Amino acid sequence: MKKKLKASFSEKILFIFLISLGIFSFSFFFIVKNKCFFVENIDPNKIQFSNPQNIVVMNVECGNVIIELLPDLSPNAVKRFKYLVKKGSYNHSAFYRVVKDTFIQAGDLEYGNIDNINYYKVGSGKSGLGTIKSELSKNFLFEEGSVALAREDEFNTEDSEFFITLKKIPLYIGEYTPVGKVIYGLDALKKIKTGTKVEYVLRPDFINYIKLLN
Amino acid sequence: MKILLILLLILQINSLKADEIFNLVKIPNLEVYKLNNLNGLKYLNAKKDFKIGIKNNIRCNKSNKQNLDNKFSLISKNLARYDADFLNRINLRFIVLCENLYVSEINTGGIPDHAKRTLILDLNFNEKYFERVMHHEIFHIIHNGFKVLFDEEIWSDLNDKTFKYAECSTCSNRLGLDLYLETNGFLTEYSKSIASEDMAEVYSFLMTDKINIENMANKDSILFNKVEYIKTRIDKILNF
Repeated sequence: MKKKLKASFSEKILFIFLISLGIFSFSFFFIVKNKCFFVENIDPNKIQFSNPQNIVVMNVECGNVIIELLPDLSPNAVKRFKYLVKKGSYNHSAFYRVVKDTFIQAGDLEYGNIDNINYYKVGSGKSGLGTIKSELSKNFLFEEGSVALAREDEFNTEDSEFFITLKKIPLYIGEYTPVGKVIYGLDALKKIKTGTKVEYVLRPDFINYIKLLN
Repeated sequence: MKILLILLLILQINSLKADEIFNLVKIPNLEVYKLNNLNGLKYLNAKKDFKIGIKNNIRCNKSNKQNLDNKFSLISKNLARYDADFLNRINLRFIVLCENLYVSEINTGGIPDHAKRTLILDLNFNEKYFERVMHHEIFHIIHNGFKVLFDEEIWSDLNDKTFKYAECSTCSNRLGLDLYLETNGFLTEYSKSIASEDMAEVYSFLMTDKINIENMANKDSILFNKVEYIKTRIDKILNF
Protein backbone atom coordinates (compact mmCIF):
# COMPACT_ATOMS: atom_id res chain seq x y z
CA MET A 1 0.00 0.00 0.00
CA LYS A 2 1.36 3.30 -1.06
CA LYS A 3 1.44 6.06 1.42
CA LYS A 4 0.44 9.40 -0.08
CA LEU A 5 3.01 12.03 0.77
CA LYS A 6 1.77 15.51 1.43
CA ALA A 7 3.99 18.51 0.97
CA SER A 8 4.46 20.57 4.06
CA PHE A 9 3.68 24.28 4.05
CA SER A 10 7.36 25.28 3.88
CA GLU A 11 7.92 22.88 0.97
CA LYS A 12 5.03 24.50 -0.90
CA ILE A 13 6.54 27.94 -0.30
CA LEU A 14 9.94 26.71 -1.54
CA PHE A 15 8.32 25.19 -4.64
CA ILE A 16 6.49 28.44 -5.46
CA PHE A 17 9.72 30.39 -4.91
CA LEU A 18 11.67 28.13 -7.29
CA ILE A 19 8.98 28.36 -9.97
CA SER A 20 8.90 32.17 -9.64
CA LEU A 21 12.70 32.32 -9.80
CA GLY A 22 12.65 30.22 -12.98
CA ILE A 23 10.06 32.44 -14.64
CA PHE A 24 11.95 35.57 -13.57
CA SER A 25 15.31 34.25 -14.81
CA PHE A 26 13.81 33.14 -18.11
CA SER A 27 12.14 36.49 -18.82
CA PHE A 28 15.13 38.47 -17.49
CA PHE A 29 17.43 36.61 -19.90
CA PHE A 30 15.34 37.66 -22.89
CA ILE A 31 14.83 41.22 -21.67
CA VAL A 32 18.54 41.75 -21.04
CA LYS A 33 19.46 40.14 -24.34
CA ASN A 34 17.20 42.55 -26.15
CA LYS A 35 18.94 45.88 -25.56
CA CYS A 36 16.06 47.71 -27.20
CA PHE A 37 13.41 46.27 -24.90
CA PHE A 38 12.79 49.47 -22.97
CA VAL A 39 13.25 51.81 -25.95
CA GLU A 40 10.08 53.30 -27.36
CA ASN A 41 10.06 53.22 -31.15
CA ILE A 42 8.93 56.55 -32.52
CA ASP A 43 6.55 56.60 -35.45
CA PRO A 44 7.14 59.88 -37.32
CA ASN A 45 3.81 59.55 -39.11
CA LYS A 46 2.00 60.02 -35.82
CA ILE A 47 3.72 63.32 -35.09
CA GLN A 48 2.74 66.72 -36.43
CA PHE A 49 5.83 68.73 -37.39
CA SER A 50 5.73 72.47 -37.90
CA ASN A 51 8.57 72.30 -40.44
CA PRO A 52 8.42 68.82 -42.02
CA GLN A 53 10.83 69.82 -44.79
CA ASN A 54 13.61 69.96 -42.20
CA ILE A 55 12.83 66.70 -40.47
CA VAL A 56 15.08 63.69 -40.93
CA VAL A 57 14.31 60.15 -39.76
CA MET A 58 17.30 58.02 -38.87
CA ASN A 59 16.56 54.36 -38.27
CA VAL A 60 18.94 52.45 -35.99
CA GLU A 61 18.76 49.07 -34.30
CA CYS A 62 16.53 50.28 -31.47
CA GLY A 63 14.16 52.36 -33.57
CA ASN A 64 13.70 55.74 -35.13
CA VAL A 65 15.53 58.92 -34.25
CA ILE A 66 13.90 62.15 -35.39
CA ILE A 67 16.26 65.02 -36.17
CA GLU A 68 15.21 68.58 -36.84
CA LEU A 69 17.66 70.33 -39.16
CA LEU A 70 18.62 73.96 -38.59
CA PRO A 71 19.27 75.55 -41.98
CA ASP A 72 19.01 79.08 -40.58
CA LEU A 73 21.99 78.40 -38.36
CA SER A 74 24.23 76.59 -40.85
CA PRO A 75 22.78 76.63 -44.36
CA ASN A 76 25.72 75.01 -46.15
CA ALA A 77 26.13 72.22 -43.63
CA VAL A 78 22.41 71.41 -43.72
CA LYS A 79 22.45 71.53 -47.52
CA ARG A 80 25.33 69.01 -47.58
CA PHE A 81 23.65 66.79 -44.97
CA LYS A 82 20.33 66.81 -46.82
CA TYR A 83 22.05 66.01 -50.10
CA LEU A 84 23.75 62.95 -48.63
CA VAL A 85 20.55 61.84 -46.92
CA LYS A 86 18.57 62.12 -50.18
CA LYS A 87 21.29 60.19 -52.00
CA GLY A 88 21.16 57.42 -49.39
CA SER A 89 24.86 57.81 -48.68
CA TYR A 90 24.47 57.46 -44.92
CA ASN A 91 22.55 54.19 -45.13
CA HIS A 92 24.56 51.38 -43.47
CA SER A 93 27.15 53.86 -42.18
CA ALA A 94 28.97 52.71 -39.02
CA PHE A 95 28.81 54.40 -35.63
CA TYR A 96 32.54 53.92 -35.48
CA ARG A 97 33.34 56.39 -32.73
CA VAL A 98 31.07 56.07 -29.73
CA VAL A 99 31.87 57.25 -26.23
CA LYS A 100 29.35 55.99 -23.69
CA ASP A 101 26.81 58.60 -22.65
CA THR A 102 28.90 61.26 -24.40
CA PHE A 103 28.61 61.17 -28.19
CA ILE A 104 28.23 58.93 -31.21
CA GLN A 105 29.85 59.56 -34.58
CA ALA A 106 29.11 58.18 -38.02
CA GLY A 107 29.18 59.22 -41.66
CA ASP A 108 32.56 58.07 -42.99
CA LEU A 109 31.31 57.20 -46.45
CA GLU A 110 34.61 55.82 -47.67
CA TYR A 111 35.90 53.59 -44.86
CA GLY A 112 32.94 53.25 -42.50
CA ASN A 113 30.25 51.40 -44.40
CA ILE A 114 28.82 47.99 -43.50
CA ASP A 115 30.17 46.55 -46.76
CA ASN A 116 33.62 48.08 -46.39
CA ILE A 117 34.77 48.97 -42.92
CA ASN A 118 38.46 49.72 -42.69
CA TYR A 119 39.55 49.96 -39.04
CA TYR A 120 42.90 51.50 -39.96
CA LYS A 121 41.36 54.30 -41.96
CA VAL A 122 37.89 54.80 -40.55
CA GLY A 123 37.39 58.44 -39.69
CA SER A 124 39.56 59.68 -42.53
CA GLY A 125 37.25 58.90 -45.42
CA LYS A 126 35.89 61.45 -47.85
CA SER A 127 32.54 61.89 -49.52
CA GLY A 128 34.07 62.98 -52.81
CA LEU A 129 32.17 66.26 -52.61
CA GLY A 130 35.00 68.22 -51.06
CA THR A 131 35.06 70.02 -47.74
CA ILE A 132 32.80 72.87 -46.71
CA LYS A 133 33.45 75.92 -44.57
CA SER A 134 32.74 75.76 -40.86
CA GLU A 135 29.58 77.55 -39.78
CA LEU A 136 30.15 78.14 -36.10
CA SER A 137 27.65 79.58 -33.69
CA LYS A 138 28.00 80.76 -30.12
CA ASN A 139 24.24 80.39 -29.72
CA PHE A 140 24.11 76.66 -30.39
CA LEU A 141 24.64 75.24 -26.92
CA PHE A 142 25.52 71.59 -27.59
CA GLU A 143 22.89 70.17 -25.31
CA GLU A 144 21.94 66.49 -25.23
CA GLY A 145 20.93 65.44 -28.75
CA SER A 146 22.85 68.10 -30.66
CA VAL A 147 23.83 67.06 -34.18
CA ALA A 148 26.94 68.60 -35.72
CA LEU A 149 29.41 67.97 -38.50
CA ALA A 150 32.74 66.48 -37.46
CA ARG A 151 35.95 67.93 -38.88
CA GLU A 152 39.72 67.45 -38.88
CA ASP A 153 41.91 69.47 -36.51
CA GLU A 154 41.48 72.55 -38.68
CA PHE A 155 38.26 74.42 -39.34
CA ASN A 156 36.70 74.42 -42.81
CA THR A 157 37.34 70.70 -43.22
CA GLU A 158 33.76 69.48 -42.68
CA ASP A 159 32.60 66.86 -45.17
CA SER A 160 30.12 64.05 -44.43
CA GLU A 161 30.90 62.84 -40.93
CA PHE A 162 28.59 63.91 -38.15
CA PHE A 163 28.20 63.31 -34.45
CA ILE A 164 25.36 63.49 -31.96
CA THR A 165 25.95 64.47 -28.35
CA LEU A 166 24.39 62.32 -25.64
CA LYS A 167 25.02 64.90 -22.94
CA LYS A 168 25.56 68.64 -22.61
CA ILE A 169 29.08 69.53 -23.84
CA PRO A 170 29.65 73.29 -23.44
CA LEU A 171 33.27 72.85 -24.55
CA TYR A 172 31.99 72.28 -28.10
CA ILE A 173 30.25 75.65 -28.37
CA GLY A 174 31.83 77.51 -31.25
CA GLU A 175 33.99 74.51 -32.13
CA TYR A 176 31.77 72.46 -34.43
CA THR A 177 29.24 73.25 -37.14
CA PRO A 178 25.71 72.49 -35.93
CA VAL A 179 23.36 70.64 -38.25
CA GLY A 180 20.32 70.04 -36.09
CA LYS A 181 18.99 68.49 -32.93
CA VAL A 182 17.35 65.21 -31.99
CA ILE A 183 13.74 65.89 -31.07
CA TYR A 184 12.63 62.27 -30.55
CA GLY A 185 14.38 58.95 -30.09
CA LEU A 186 17.49 59.82 -28.11
CA ASP A 187 17.06 56.59 -26.11
CA ALA A 188 17.66 54.58 -29.27
CA LEU A 189 21.00 56.34 -29.73
CA LYS A 190 22.02 55.63 -26.15
CA LYS A 191 21.84 51.90 -26.94
CA ILE A 192 24.41 52.09 -29.72
CA LYS A 193 27.47 49.95 -29.10
CA THR A 194 30.22 51.86 -27.32
CA GLY A 195 33.98 51.67 -27.30
CA THR A 196 35.63 54.04 -24.88
CA LYS A 197 39.19 52.79 -24.92
CA VAL A 198 40.06 53.35 -28.54
CA GLU A 199 39.36 55.71 -31.38
CA TYR A 200 36.94 53.33 -33.06
CA VAL A 201 34.42 50.65 -32.10
CA LEU A 202 35.17 47.10 -33.17
CA ARG A 203 32.19 45.49 -34.92
CA PRO A 204 30.15 48.67 -34.60
CA ASP A 205 26.43 49.28 -34.90
CA PHE A 206 25.20 50.78 -38.16
CA ILE A 207 22.59 53.23 -39.35
CA ASN A 208 19.90 51.21 -41.10
CA TYR A 209 18.79 54.19 -43.13
CA ILE A 210 18.31 57.94 -42.98
CA LYS A 211 15.60 59.65 -44.98
CA LEU A 212 13.92 62.99 -45.18
CA LEU A 213 10.39 62.98 -43.83
CA ASN A 214 9.12 64.66 -46.99
CA MET B 1 52.63 40.86 -5.74
CA LYS B 2 54.48 41.06 -9.06
CA ILE B 3 51.39 39.86 -10.91
CA LEU B 4 49.33 42.51 -9.15
CA LEU B 5 51.82 45.20 -10.18
CA ILE B 6 51.77 43.98 -13.78
CA LEU B 7 47.98 44.02 -13.75
CA LEU B 8 47.97 47.56 -12.37
CA LEU B 9 50.45 48.60 -15.07
CA ILE B 10 48.26 47.09 -17.79
CA LEU B 11 45.23 48.90 -16.37
CA GLN B 12 47.23 52.12 -16.33
CA ILE B 13 48.27 51.67 -19.97
CA ASN B 14 44.71 50.90 -20.95
CA SER B 15 43.31 53.83 -19.03
CA LEU B 16 43.53 56.02 -22.13
CA LYS B 17 39.87 56.83 -22.46
CA ALA B 18 38.42 58.64 -25.39
CA ASP B 19 36.09 61.36 -24.22
CA GLU B 20 34.69 64.62 -25.53
CA ILE B 21 37.84 66.56 -24.65
CA PHE B 22 40.17 63.99 -26.17
CA ASN B 23 38.04 64.13 -29.29
CA LEU B 24 38.79 67.82 -29.57
CA VAL B 25 42.40 68.32 -28.43
CA LYS B 26 43.74 64.74 -28.60
CA ILE B 27 45.09 64.86 -25.06
CA PRO B 28 43.70 62.24 -22.67
CA ASN B 29 42.72 62.57 -19.01
CA LEU B 30 41.65 66.21 -19.09
CA GLU B 31 38.69 67.95 -17.52
CA VAL B 32 37.23 71.39 -17.98
CA TYR B 33 38.60 73.96 -15.53
CA LYS B 34 37.11 77.23 -16.83
CA LEU B 35 35.28 77.87 -20.07
CA ASN B 36 33.58 81.23 -20.09
CA ASN B 37 36.39 83.70 -20.49
CA LEU B 38 36.08 87.05 -22.22
CA ASN B 39 38.76 86.29 -24.78
CA GLY B 40 37.33 82.84 -25.56
CA LEU B 41 40.20 80.85 -24.06
CA LYS B 42 39.13 77.50 -22.64
CA TYR B 43 41.10 76.22 -19.67
CA LEU B 44 41.47 72.47 -19.17
CA ASN B 45 43.36 70.68 -16.45
CA ALA B 46 44.87 67.22 -16.12
CA LYS B 47 42.74 65.04 -13.86
CA LYS B 48 45.25 62.20 -14.36
CA ASP B 49 48.81 61.96 -15.69
CA PHE B 50 49.04 61.88 -19.47
CA LYS B 51 51.51 61.00 -22.18
CA ILE B 52 51.24 62.17 -25.77
CA GLY B 53 53.37 62.71 -28.84
CA ILE B 54 55.62 60.50 -30.90
CA LYS B 55 56.55 57.50 -28.76
CA ASN B 56 54.78 59.26 -25.85
CA ASN B 57 57.75 61.62 -25.56
CA ILE B 58 55.62 64.31 -23.92
CA ARG B 59 54.38 63.64 -20.41
CA CYS B 60 52.77 65.64 -17.68
CA ASN B 61 51.28 64.89 -14.27
CA LYS B 62 47.82 65.59 -13.00
CA SER B 63 47.36 69.00 -11.46
CA ASN B 64 46.95 69.45 -7.75
CA LYS B 65 43.71 71.35 -7.15
CA GLN B 66 45.20 73.77 -4.64
CA ASN B 67 48.25 74.44 -6.78
CA LEU B 68 46.00 74.98 -9.79
CA ASP B 69 43.71 77.39 -7.95
CA ASN B 70 46.70 79.31 -6.62
CA LYS B 71 48.41 79.69 -10.01
CA PHE B 72 45.30 80.25 -12.07
CA SER B 73 44.88 83.94 -11.24
CA LEU B 74 48.41 84.64 -12.50
CA ILE B 75 47.84 82.58 -15.64
CA SER B 76 44.47 84.11 -16.49
CA LYS B 77 45.73 87.63 -15.73
CA ASN B 78 48.55 87.22 -18.25
CA LEU B 79 46.49 85.49 -20.92
CA ALA B 80 43.64 87.98 -20.53
CA ARG B 81 45.98 90.51 -22.14
CA TYR B 82 45.27 88.83 -25.47
CA ASP B 83 41.87 89.66 -26.92
CA ALA B 84 39.62 87.17 -28.71
CA ASP B 85 40.38 88.59 -32.14
CA PHE B 86 44.14 88.26 -31.71
CA LEU B 87 43.81 84.74 -30.29
CA ASN B 88 41.70 83.74 -33.29
CA ARG B 89 44.32 85.11 -35.65
CA ILE B 90 47.15 83.26 -33.98
CA ASN B 91 45.04 80.10 -33.58
CA LEU B 92 45.02 79.63 -29.81
CA ARG B 93 41.94 78.40 -27.95
CA PHE B 94 42.83 75.75 -25.32
CA ILE B 95 45.12 76.08 -22.33
CA VAL B 96 46.00 72.76 -20.71
CA LEU B 97 47.26 72.99 -17.14
CA CYS B 98 49.28 70.16 -15.61
CA GLU B 99 52.37 69.61 -13.47
CA ASN B 100 55.95 68.58 -14.33
CA LEU B 101 55.83 68.83 -18.09
CA TYR B 102 58.58 66.95 -19.91
CA VAL B 103 59.52 66.63 -23.57
CA SER B 104 61.96 63.81 -24.20
CA GLU B 105 62.89 63.92 -20.50
CA ILE B 106 63.65 67.65 -20.60
CA ASN B 107 61.53 69.76 -18.27
CA THR B 108 59.81 72.61 -20.09
CA GLY B 109 57.50 75.44 -19.07
CA GLY B 110 55.11 75.02 -21.94
CA ILE B 111 54.41 73.23 -25.21
CA PRO B 112 52.52 75.02 -27.96
CA ASP B 113 50.53 73.12 -30.58
CA HIS B 114 49.47 75.51 -33.29
CA ALA B 115 47.50 72.92 -35.26
CA LYS B 116 45.40 71.91 -32.29
CA ARG B 117 45.15 75.50 -31.01
CA THR B 118 46.52 74.32 -27.70
CA LEU B 119 49.13 75.46 -25.21
CA ILE B 120 50.17 73.09 -22.42
CA LEU B 121 51.56 74.85 -19.35
CA ASP B 122 53.52 73.37 -16.46
CA LEU B 123 52.11 74.71 -13.19
CA ASN B 124 55.30 73.72 -11.39
CA PHE B 125 57.71 75.50 -13.70
CA ASN B 126 60.20 77.79 -11.95
CA GLU B 127 58.11 80.64 -10.50
CA LYS B 128 60.81 83.16 -11.33
CA TYR B 129 60.23 82.63 -15.05
CA PHE B 130 56.69 81.27 -15.10
CA GLU B 131 54.92 84.46 -16.17
CA ARG B 132 57.38 85.18 -18.96
CA VAL B 133 57.37 81.57 -20.16
CA MET B 134 53.66 81.84 -20.95
CA HIS B 135 54.30 84.70 -23.39
CA HIS B 136 57.38 82.94 -24.72
CA GLU B 137 55.30 79.90 -25.64
CA ILE B 138 52.56 82.07 -27.10
CA PHE B 139 55.17 83.57 -29.38
CA HIS B 140 55.90 80.08 -30.69
CA ILE B 141 52.23 79.74 -31.57
CA ILE B 142 52.34 83.13 -33.30
CA HIS B 143 55.53 82.12 -35.13
CA ASN B 144 54.02 78.83 -36.30
CA GLY B 145 51.12 80.69 -37.84
CA PHE B 146 53.20 83.45 -39.40
CA LYS B 147 56.46 81.79 -40.50
CA VAL B 148 56.94 84.17 -43.41
CA LEU B 149 56.41 87.23 -41.25
CA PHE B 150 58.94 86.10 -38.66
CA ASP B 151 61.70 85.02 -41.02
CA GLU B 152 64.51 83.22 -39.19
CA GLU B 153 67.14 84.05 -41.81
CA ILE B 154 66.40 87.76 -41.71
CA TRP B 155 66.43 87.56 -37.93
CA SER B 156 69.77 85.73 -37.87
CA ASP B 157 71.24 88.45 -40.10
CA LEU B 158 70.47 90.99 -37.37
CA ASN B 159 73.23 89.39 -35.27
CA ASP B 160 76.94 90.01 -35.42
CA LYS B 161 78.37 88.25 -38.50
CA THR B 162 80.55 85.98 -36.35
CA PHE B 163 77.64 84.62 -34.29
CA LYS B 164 76.03 81.28 -35.06
CA TYR B 165 72.96 79.73 -33.43
CA ALA B 166 72.97 76.06 -32.39
CA GLU B 167 71.39 73.35 -34.54
CA CYS B 168 68.39 73.05 -32.22
CA SER B 169 67.12 74.57 -28.98
CA THR B 170 68.24 71.60 -26.90
CA CYS B 171 71.43 70.90 -28.86
CA SER B 172 73.40 73.43 -26.86
CA ASN B 173 73.92 74.12 -23.20
CA ARG B 174 72.70 77.67 -23.69
CA LEU B 175 69.72 77.27 -21.38
CA GLY B 176 69.90 80.19 -18.91
CA LEU B 177 66.75 82.29 -18.69
CA ASP B 178 68.10 85.18 -16.59
CA LEU B 179 68.25 88.59 -18.19
CA TYR B 180 71.80 89.62 -19.11
CA LEU B 181 73.12 92.82 -17.64
CA GLU B 182 75.27 93.27 -20.74
CA THR B 183 73.07 92.24 -23.63
CA ASN B 184 75.33 92.29 -26.72
CA GLY B 185 72.34 91.52 -28.91
CA PHE B 186 70.86 88.83 -26.70
CA LEU B 187 68.62 89.07 -23.66
CA THR B 188 69.39 85.67 -22.14
CA GLU B 189 71.68 82.72 -22.66
CA TYR B 190 68.72 80.80 -24.09
CA SER B 191 68.33 83.53 -26.72
CA LYS B 192 71.56 82.24 -28.23
CA SER B 193 70.18 78.74 -28.81
CA ILE B 194 68.21 79.17 -32.05
CA ALA B 195 66.59 82.06 -33.91
CA SER B 196 63.00 81.23 -32.98
CA GLU B 197 63.90 80.98 -29.27
CA ASP B 198 65.71 84.30 -29.55
CA MET B 199 62.57 85.87 -31.05
CA ALA B 200 60.42 84.29 -28.33
CA GLU B 201 62.72 85.65 -25.62
CA VAL B 202 62.54 89.19 -27.03
CA TYR B 203 58.75 88.93 -27.34
CA SER B 204 58.29 87.54 -23.83
CA PHE B 205 60.43 90.27 -22.26
CA LEU B 206 58.50 92.91 -24.21
CA MET B 207 55.30 91.46 -22.73
CA THR B 208 56.58 91.37 -19.16
CA ASP B 209 59.29 94.03 -18.82
CA LYS B 210 58.74 96.37 -21.76
CA ILE B 211 60.19 99.65 -20.49
CA ASN B 212 63.35 98.04 -19.16
CA ILE B 213 63.92 96.13 -22.40
CA GLU B 214 63.35 99.24 -24.52
CA ASN B 215 65.87 101.09 -22.38
CA MET B 216 68.38 98.28 -22.82
CA ALA B 217 67.69 98.22 -26.56
CA ASN B 218 68.50 101.94 -26.81
CA LYS B 219 72.07 101.09 -25.77
CA ASP B 220 72.40 97.98 -27.98
CA SER B 221 71.85 98.41 -31.72
CA ILE B 222 71.42 94.68 -32.45
CA LEU B 223 68.87 94.33 -29.68
CA PHE B 224 67.17 97.52 -30.85
CA ASN B 225 66.69 96.05 -34.33
CA LYS B 226 65.38 92.82 -32.85
CA VAL B 227 62.88 94.65 -30.65
CA GLU B 228 61.69 96.70 -33.63
CA TYR B 229 61.46 93.55 -35.75
CA ILE B 230 59.14 91.88 -33.26
CA LYS B 231 57.08 95.00 -32.59
CA THR B 232 56.41 95.84 -36.24
CA ARG B 233 55.40 92.31 -37.08
CA ILE B 234 53.12 91.92 -34.10
CA ASP B 235 51.49 95.19 -35.18
CA LYS B 236 50.98 93.68 -38.63
CA ILE B 237 49.09 90.76 -37.07
CA LEU B 238 47.06 93.12 -34.91
CA ASN B 239 46.13 95.22 -37.94
CA PHE B 240 45.78 92.30 -40.34
